[in-house]
Amino acid sequence: MAKETPQRNGLLQGTLDMLVLRTLLYGPAHGHQIGKHIQRTTNDFLQMQHGSLYPALHRLEKKGWVVSKWETAPDRNREFKYYRLTEKGRKQLVVEESQWKQMADAVASVMWPTAEES
Amino acid sequence: MRWGRIGKKDADLDRELRSDLDLEEEEQRENGASPAEARFAARRAFGNPALIREQTRAIWTWNGFESFTSDVRYGLRGLCRTPLLTFMVVLALSVGMGLNVGIFSILNTMFLEPPTRIDPASFVQIYPRYEGWFAGAAQSSRLNAEDFDAIRTQAHSLRDVAAWEQIGISLDDLHRQDSSLLVTCNYFHVFGMERTLMGRFFLPDECQSGTETRVLVLSEHFWRNRYASDPQIVGKVLHINRQPFVVVGIAADSSANLIPGDVWMPYTLQPAFNHGDSAFQNPNSAWLNAAARLRQGYTRADARAEIETILRQRDRFYLEQRTFTLDRKTSVVLTNGSYIEDPAFQTVAAGLMALVMGPLVLVLLLACTNVTMLFLSRSLVRRGEIAVRLALGAGRGRLTRMLVIESLLAAFLAGIISIGLAIRIPSLVLATLDPQGQFSSAIYPDWKVFGFLACLVLVSAVLSSLAPARESFRFDLVTALKGREGSVTARTPTTDALIVVQLAMSFVLLAAAVLFARMPSTIEGIDPGFETRRLMTVPLEVTVPPYTNTSAIAFHRALEARLLALPGVQSLAWASIAPFRFSPQQEVHLDNQSAGQGHAASVDKVSPNFFSTFSIPLLHGRQFLNSDASAAGPANVAIVSQAFARTFWGAGDPVGKVVVTTDRRRLVVIGVAADTRSERYGIVDGPRLYTLRHSNSVDGELFVRFTDDAAPLARAIEQAVKTLDPTQVETPVTIRDFLETNATQIRALARIVLFMAGIAVVLAITGIYAVLSFVINRRTREFGIQMMLGATRESIFRSVMKRGLKQIAIGLFCGLILAFPAAWSFARMTKRGVLPIHAFDFSVYCIAAIILLVVSICAMALPGLRATRVDPMQALRNE
Repeated sequence: MAKETPQRNGLLQGTLDMLVLRTLLYGPAHGHQIGKHIQRTTNDFLQMQHGSLYPALHRLEKKGWVVSKWETAPDRNREFKYYRLTEKGRKQLVVEESQWKQMADAVASVMWPTAEES
Repeated sequence: MRWGRIGKKDADLDRELRSDLDLEEEEQRENGASPAEARFAARRAFGNPALIREQTRAIWTWNGFESFTSDVRYGLRGLCRTPLLTFMVVLALSVGMGLNVGIFSILNTMFLEPPTRIDPASFVQIYPRYEGWFAGAAQSSRLNAEDFDAIRTQAHSLRDVAAWEQIGISLDDLHRQDSSLLVTCNYFHVFGMERTLMGRFFLPDECQSGTETRVLVLSEHFWRNRYASDPQIVGKVLHINRQPFVVVGIAADSSANLIPGDVWMPYTLQPAFNHGDSAFQNPNSAWLNAAARLRQGYTRADARAEIETILRQRDRFYLEQRTFTLDRKTSVVLTNGSYIEDPAFQTVAAGLMALVMGPLVLVLLLACTNVTMLFLSRSLVRRGEIAVRLALGAGRGRLTRMLVIESLLAAFLAGIISIGLAIRIPSLVLATLDPQGQFSSAIYPDWKVFGFLACLVLVSAVLSSLAPARESFRFDLVTALKGREGSVTARTPTTDALIVVQLAMSFVLLAAAVLFARMPSTIEGIDPGFETRRLMTVPLEVTVPPYTNTSAIAFHRALEARLLALPGVQSLAWASIAPFRFSPQQEVHLDNQSAGQGHAASVDKVSPNFFSTFSIPLLHGRQFLNSDASAAGPANVAIVSQAFARTFWGAGDPVGKVVVTTDRRRLVVIGVAADTRSERYGIVDGPRLYTLRHSNSVDGELFVRFTDDAAPLARAIEQAVKTLDPTQVETPVTIRDFLETNATQIRALARIVLFMAGIAVVLAITGIYAVLSFVINRRTREFGIQMMLGATRESIFRSVMKRGLKQIAIGLFCGLILAFPAAWSFARMTKRGVLPIHAFDFSVYCIAAIILLVVSICAMALPGLRATRVDPMQALRNE
């Protein structure tokens, strides 16, 4: 059964969508690649749960932020379902990023107050 | 289209997940794991594919519907897997729902529906409410002829206004009274009765004032019952109140919901039924009921406002003309014509419906508990299955929904079957209650009935599935998966509680049945303290007008002379209070008390020979003498009942004492009469004061004491009355026959209550039996172990029965708690009635308790005996 990781529970609602969109900014990828990429870049800090990854991908597709297509992988002789960022998705990423930044700044200013504020 | 897309997406998702899983597996292998290890590791990392699929699918489908259909398929499979259980469930539910819907459709047609089936939306019934005018006008909802004409000619919002008056008639001089309507000629049109079965309706000129064409229309059911569907009836002459009338048509029953009359005549004939005294000329006579059809484009509120304006104008006109002694203020209520909206009948109808539907709802609840128990036993058997489903990742909410849908399917099936029952039941019930078939119109279920049925299906499905659903999840997952659950869990507090609930509910119904079943024999067996078999009441309708004081007295004198001349008649007596009818109370006080300090008593104005005619013994003092009454003024003597003497003077001697009545008459007590039981069946009357009736009084009831056979005398008395006044339509009847007629009516009602209680008890017993046999089956291993440890068969049987008896005791106790408030409110409702209903009649409860105790012990003993036959070796080997 799925491993219970603290990150999973701590992952903020809505962040996963942003992470997926950001990952796709490098170019089209399939589900397994996206999961692995997030896991690897965070040094295994965020262990991707397939249970939330696939619903997230399909949710993004439904909203029109990504499109999917079955394509043959360049290094293998096999078809994978590749997800590609749309123009709408790109805009959404900008919006989510700025929101997240505001959020992070706000949290940071409480947690690590700078000299002039204290 | 949609389905194809979902199927394709499903396959797509499957392919995606599989390819990613393969990729994961490959990576694990590259990291150096063995193929088998790699597969497990990949699956571990991947998680539960079924769950992922489920969650992903939830994103892109309208998930509810898809899972709903799969739940329905699952439910159908579940029901088919256990056909016997499904059969029992559907049977119990369809009996419960069929009874409810069947009776409800009767009540619906009788109380809730407008009287017409043709365009009921435009039908309105007009109820004027009066303030002032005449005594009792506040209770009247009828119009006088002038007001009716004003509405008919002035109201633009109405396209057709009809009026009618209901009267009693004596048809063909038979020994019975029939009901008839005097109607305007558009009555049939307004009530949507558009076609006759034969002949015609009234012609417009037959309702012109001044015409007295004596014609009549018969209702279809009346024609079938009374005239054996005589095909030659149209054109024949029938005699009403000994006057000839020509039949012009037969009105078909099918067009109206409830036909209030059997015989219709033009309302212009009203004077002929009132000694020639025309109500058309008398603005003080409010005699016409009115109904109308709304004109296209007008609402009921428009019509109400318009009619009220017209009647207010009439009020002003009457005020200017000084027609009435009191100023009249009129307001108007318009209804759809159903009984439940009739302002005068509203509370009674609602009360009656509650009274009838209450026990029925109990029966349905019993059926639901039965089904709950059956589902509960199945949910215990299915724990393994449910554990596997939970382990595979099904959510508890989803599983609950599956279980609810399963019982919803069963309830739905039962609902369809109960429609069949519901169509049969009304005619059966009506045949029991009304053997003569006077209630004619067919009962048609309409949207209200089907809506009611849908509610019942929903409620019973939810009620009967919640407990099993809850029970399904109360286990340890791992133990359940291993299939080694302890037998202790087989019997849960829920089943215990359900058995108690069943016993309690059937106890309430059984107590009601016992109460009703005993009532007829109580009524027939009572000794009211006066003669009943040789005493006949002669009902007379002598009102001023049409009678005058002089003509009324002359009528009474002539009638007395004729009756005394009949062979077998011993004596005549007059009284103001008829036995077993409502008797008003008034305050009577002693001469040394002031008004307000006395006690309530019924005051009966009687003729001098009342006591000998009724055979009420005089215990003390003397009778009334004719000389007491001969004085010019009202006689100032009185006789009191024992209860009266006890209330006012205790043990003292009342003779010679003086009492004062509300009209400030001082009366000297001359004697004490024995108490009677004439107000309520079998109950000693409260204080009663007998005063002497003035011999020239025009009101009062006439009683005849006779010696021989009652039937020919009743006929002879009726003939004598009708010879003097053919408009007298009621028939003489002995007190005894009156009681027996009452008992017969109650017996029919009791039969229906008994039937319902019977069904309730059968439901309860089968439920208890089923649960206990199931529980004992599950406890076989436990019994085996107990026997190995030295328990005897008797001790096992005793332990099973002890537990059962405890439940029966609790159930009966709860039943008592349920029954008391019901009985109390029922007794309060019938307080003014003649039926003696004691809320705390313990014999009723005892009989019901004993019946229930015996049958439930039988139901428990059978599975209990099976427990003793457990072979310990066999039971333990099954492990």
